Amino acid sequence: MREGLLIVLFMIALTSLCDTVNQLFLKSAIDSLNFSPQFNFIKIFKFIFQLLIKPRLWLSFVFSVISLCIWLLVLSKADLNFAFSADSMHYIFIALASRFVLKEKFSYLRWLGTGLIVMGIVFVSLS
Amino acid sequence: MFKKKVTLKILLLLIVSDILETAIHFFFKKGALAESEFSVADFSSALVFLKAVFSSPFLWAGLLTVIVVFIIWSTVLSRIDLSVAVPIASFSYILVPVVSVIFLHEHISVLRWIGILLILMGVIFVSLSSKERTAQGK
Repeated sequence: MREGLLIVLFMIALTSLCDTVNQLFLKSAIDSLNFSPQFNFIKIFKFIFQLLIKPRLWLSFVFSVISLCIWLLVLSKADLNFAFSADSMHYIFIALASRFVLKEKFSYLRWLGTGLIVMGIVFVSLS
Repeated sequence: MFKKKVTLKILLLLIVSDILETAIHFFFKKGALAESEFSVADFSSALVFLKAVFSSPFLWAGLLTVIVVFIIWSTVLSRIDLSVAVPIASFSYILVPVVSVIFLHEHISVLRWIGILLILMGVIFVSLSSKERTAQGK
């Protein structure tokens, strides 16, 4: 698997990226509805229905299907334990996206956690 | 919004979702293993491969488990905070490698275990930071 390592890492990055785009669309679709969590079945059904007619939700769905397809290609090339650990790089993409696209505020604890994940992926890939 | 502490029932649900989460990855890997090799340079061979994988019962078992895990997670998250749920749920970062070694006969070096532990710590820190944000009144 060694010679294919870069290709596999690139594909994992690609599936993580698709996952991040999927999450961004989903978050944006949900945010646009202004839902307050309540145990009220009529409200929950109404919420889900309103969500289903949002084009952004379907974009999010398309990206999650692409992500699954690439993931299956990865699994045929790489060990599960490697692929699963390396896939945690979506934490990095989501961190960057929420910081720079959604403009969320970041604590030092989150940067520390993201840094540890980066180090962990490097260790897992080197072995 | 105030949320209750982690009860035994919630903890059991989280452990079940950990095990099922691990099962998802096992099923997907099994589905991907069953089929022929494809070449990265050849896009049409990738499509042939995917077509074969999508007819594998393992893949559909995996997708079904995804739905079950989603329902369990929605239940858990309506009871406790995400910053509490994620560290307990990231047990799967250990469980998946263990399952890979036992059932898929993969080899994991010491260096890789260190990497896995670093990722686990990182995930826990990231999820704890969402609690910090809530505590600041945001």
